[in-house]
This record gives sequence, structure tokens and C-alpha cells, in this order.
Amino acid sequence: MELREIISGSQPVKIPPDATVADALVTMAENKTDYVIVDRQGIDDAYGMITRWDIVVGPIAEGEDLSELPALSCARKPVVSMNNLDLEARWVAKKMANENVSRIMVFAQEEFLGSVSDVDVLRAIASRASKGPEKEATE
Amino acid sequence: MTIGRLTLRDVVKTFELPTIGSDASILEAIRVMLDSNCYTLLVPRKGKSDAYGVLTKRDVIAKVIAEGKDPAKTKVGQCMSKPLVLLTNLSLDLRWVASAMANSRVATIAVFEKGDFYGYVTESCVMDGLYHAMRRAKLEEGVEFVSC
Repeated sequence: MELREIISGSQPVKIPPDATVADALVTMAENKTDYVIVDRQGIDDAYGMITRWDIVVGPIAEGEDLSELPALSCARKPVVSMNNLDLEARWVAKKMANENVSRIMVFAQEEFLGSVSDVDVLRAIASRASKGPEKEATE
Repeated sequence: MTIGRLTLRDVVKTFELPTIGSDASILEAIRVMLDSNCYTLLVPRKGKSDAYGVLTKRDVIAKVIAEGKDPAKTKVGQCMSKPLVLLTNLSLDLRWVASAMANSRVATIAVFEKGDFYGYVTESCVMDGLYHAMRRAKLEEGVEFVSC
């Protein structure tokens, strides 16, 4: 199962670079998503990403005031990204484990293609396993 | 907006986690996770002196798939986290609940009250609790709640 088969192409929810952690939390809750992208300020800037986990183990665990703290202080910036669409799911999982993230953005050159999460990888592994015996039977 | 007013009691949820035996394969565990849409599984104990374990999606990704092991041949017992992380003080400030998650690096913590199982607290419980608290605070101020 290759990366191109498991990416989900939905557009991510973005927040502006000057947003606060409270804005990020509210955006996640209202859009029912577990991550938001912090937009870049220009072509020479990088995108950032904030997940629920980042907010819980960062500002909440530290007892910070969420409405004062800039979102970028707990964002992962630059985002972890991949561009080789032929890569096997195993190496996507390895990248997640190495970088300690649960979601990776996928770009081809400058074009945003989508993202892949750990659940997408699990789904790919399960569907490959269920397809496996059928394939052998037809051969 | 301070989060000091929220305690564990405000955010804990009573629900059952799906269970999986420690002899089951990781592939079965992945199917249970996908079917139940719950990515933390409880591994029951074998006796009174044994501890409960948990298998999370992170365990599966990092210890099985990333290492190139066959999920159909790897057992749950080989890569679960054990013992279960738990909290017993329901009056604990939300900050310390988040700290417990950060320290143990688990997103699901079991909550016990006076020795009896009470429920679970997950990262989404913490986020939802805060969201509703912020919403209430804004409404009390008479401000229409507008997100960015």
C-alpha cells in the first residue's frame, strides 16, 4: 500500500499566524477536527500545525493563559511533510514514529495534496490484510 | 480566562473501552479500533495480581508497522503499555490532568473513585471541557462567541 493510496485530500482548517491558543482550540472544537494549520506569512515562511495533543501537553499542562498565548508557541513548525507518493505505508509509519507526530502533510513541489494520519495508515494495513487472501485465491 | 476552575470531575466521561485479549494479533486489534472508532483498547488482566494494559494506535504505528513486523503475527501482549495509567482524585485541577497525560505520554487515563472504576479522561475530554468553559465565560460576559 503506497502513500498515494492512503492520503486524504480534504483541505485543512487554517488559522492566521497571529491567532492565540484559545482561537486554535475553539476552531478545532467548532470544526470537529483534531488539528489546525497555522498559515504562513509569506512565500518564504513555513506552515505550522497544532494538534489537540500539542495543546493538552503544552499550554494546558503548564497552566498558561490560553487567550494570551500565541498559537505558534505550541505549534509544530515547519510541519512534517512528505513528497514521495510511491512510498510504502511502513515508511510513513516510521516517519511518524521518528518525528513523534500523528499526522503528516503531503506536498508535490509547492502544491498541497492532502494529509495522512496514523488512522489512515491503520486503515491501509487492515484493508491490505483483508485483500491479501482474496488475491492469492484468484491467482 | 483561567482554567483553574475546571477539575477532573467536570471532564471525566463514563464509557467503556473496547477490550482485546493479550494473545490476539495486532491485525485483530486494528480491526477492533477501526470498527469501534476508538483508538485505545483495554487489555484485561489475567488475575488479581496482574495489571490492566492498554494498546494505543501509537503503539501499533511505532512498535509494529514502523518496524516492518507482520501485524497478523505480532501479539497484542508484545507491544501494549502496562500498567494502565490512572488517577484517583476527582477534585484534581485540569492542569494536572493534562500534566499526567504529558508525563506518561498516554492520551487516555482511567479514573477510579474510592477503589471503584469511575470512567476515562482523554485529550478530547480536556479540550471539550475547556471549550465549553470558555463558551460559558463569554456568554456570561454577554459577548457573542465568535471564532477566528
